Amino acid sequence: MRLSGRLRSSLIIGGQGIRARKLRTFLSMVSLFLGVLAVVAVQAGSVIAERALLADIEMTTGKDGTLQVYLPSAPESATVAMDTVRGHGDAVAITSTQAVIGEPGVRPVNEGGGPLEDGAGAYSTGMTRYCDDAGDCRTVEDDQDAPQLPQGKAIELNLQGLSADIRQFRPFRTQSGEWLDFGGAPSLSPRIVLNTKAAEAFRKVRVPAEMRVAGALANPTPRIVGVVDDGGYMPTAYVRSDELLNWMPVGAIADPNFGGVQLLMSPAATDLEQILRSRLDAAGANIDEFQVVPVDSREHLASELSLLRWIFLGMAALVLLIGVAGILNVGLATVGERVEEFALRRAVGTPRLLLAGIVLAETLLTGLLTAMLAIGVGIVGLKGTSWLFAAREPFLADVQFPWQAGVAGVVAGLVAGVLGGLIPAVRAARIPIATVMRA
Amino acid sequence: MTPLVRLTGITKTLTGQEQDRTILDGVDLTLAAGESVAVLGRSGSGKSTLLSLIGLFDRADGGQYLLGDKDITRVPERKAAALRSAEFGFVFQRFFLLKHLTAVQNVSMALVNGQGWLPRRKRRAKAMAALDRLGIAHLAKHKPPRLSGGEQQRVAIARALVREPRILLADEPTGALDTETGNLVVDALRDTTERGCGLVLVTHDRDHAAKMSRVLHLADGVLGPAEVPA
Repeated sequence: MRLSGRLRSSLIIGGQGIRARKLRTFLSMVSLFLGVLAVVAVQAGSVIAERALLADIEMTTGKDGTLQVYLPSAPESATVAMDTVRGHGDAVAITSTQAVIGEPGVRPVNEGGGPLEDGAGAYSTGMTRYCDDAGDCRTVEDDQDAPQLPQGKAIELNLQGLSADIRQFRPFRTQSGEWLDFGGAPSLSPRIVLNTKAAEAFRKVRVPAEMRVAGALANPTPRIVGVVDDGGYMPTAYVRSDELLNWMPVGAIADPNFGGVQLLMSPAATDLEQILRSRLDAAGANIDEFQVVPVDSREHLASELSLLRWIFLGMAALVLLIGVAGILNVGLATVGERVEEFALRRAVGTPRLLLAGIVLAETLLTGLLTAMLAIGVGIVGLKGTSWLFAAREPFLADVQFPWQAGVAGVVAGLVAGVLGGLIPAVRAARIPIATVMRA
Repeated sequence: MTPLVRLTGITKTLTGQEQDRTILDGVDLTLAAGESVAVLGRSGSGKSTLLSLIGLFDRADGGQYLLGDKDITRVPERKAAALRSAEFGFVFQRFFLLKHLTAVQNVSMALVNGQGWLPRRKRRAKAMAALDRLGIAHLAKHKPPRLSGGEQQRVAIARALVREPRILLADEPTGALDTETGNLVVDALRDTTERGCGLVLVTHDRDHAAKMSRVLHLADGVLGPAEVPA
């Protein structure tokens, strides 16, 4: 009760002091404002940058905690893995191979499967996918067995077959159309979703006629159902594994040259991991090569960003220090002016500690008001930035003011209030009553 | 009956740059409930110092200070603050009203001192009652610059009385007032003794001193009876 009374007393008297000296309070706030705003801006900027970078990394490597499973190199690994995860929602098998989509009987414009702007052959492996008139495709070494096909309207890309929805682990952003529907029966005409790099290529080469896939029994006609941003740099298409399996055997959809089979599992899927391990062991795979590695994007990113954040926070702290000096200056001048008031308060029984508390309450309230103002300006500034630049920088669209920046602003305001008010508070508490009352 | 205040052999020496100066040299003083004591003396004779010691603004170098039957000669500051709040009321020559507060707020500020807690409504009611006792309740919402010297001093007295102290200490409360207003203020102070409050009045004015039940004179650090014209 006593502590509560003292706290209330200091807040009441501190509030009266602020109201009585509005101009001085305003000047203190002005000196502190830039410092707190700098802290808020640095914190908000780093959190938003981290979110944006993390979102990109999550699209390519997976959300934090996702288990990446590395299978043994045995040929039967792909088949076992595909069979094991079939029907499991908490795991996805991703097969990877190379495909050419476009005009029949031509060499792709981006031979090697690189981005169109990098030119033909930039990513060539020295092997060419050759299909004869009968639709029989084979991979041959360049300039040796393959007849020199004319370059035509076709795009080479990485074709990833998915056993389930991968977005639970890698949150792709849908750009247009829709994502793959894993619910219904597999279609004979494989539905594919392009990534933005592949979509860019198809905007220039508009002949999505047939899809030539290494190891396929025939060339299917794909249906492009959507475009996603997967954070990747290479043209890629996603397809349901079972729709791809209508056209090729299991062993062919996972080309070891392009990554073979990759498994992503939720951290809770421990049973599935054990079953897979047992089945691979039973199939004769070298189980020592079976590895499960959790994704730790956030930790990796945090260590990369922390140095930068500390440098900027250091600069913000310097600006804040100038604000603290401003509060200190105003605080000392105010205590000098209020010697009689403080002496009088001591005379009526106010303890020294409470006098110090009154001065600290004033500077803390000033710091808090400044922090609220700086946070408000930060929120409005972020909204304005989002509104102005969202079209150019997609990560700024729908960007939310991070709560961490608000907390940092409040903490900065309070710390500045304490630092700026401490010396004036001590001086106020030391004012001798007797000397003043004889004035 | 135990006196409210009993000072015995109180000494106080002020440390100066050239030499120390003994202000109080074995002062004895008792103050009973309902008693009023005037202390006369020249400027610099130590009257305010004596009041500072009684009001626990300062500590004596020697002697004994009993408040009731409690020895508070060496009371620590934290307890002294609590005693100032509970036992004493102070009135000064300069009124020390806070300019940014109204009269009623100036009075209730004595109730917001960290010694217990009263809700705002109760604080205001007590402050209004104190102003009413001094006949200035109608000035409750006025700020000090709009009050006359006498009104301001009465607000200061209301502030001193609002915690219902047992001892009222007044340090030349009429020094800044004209004779007529000064008389009103002294009458108001003396009225407090009728409710059992002990009053110590430091003054230069013998007429005001004569209205007290006892008149003492402080000279050369020694406190003794003073001769006052009847």
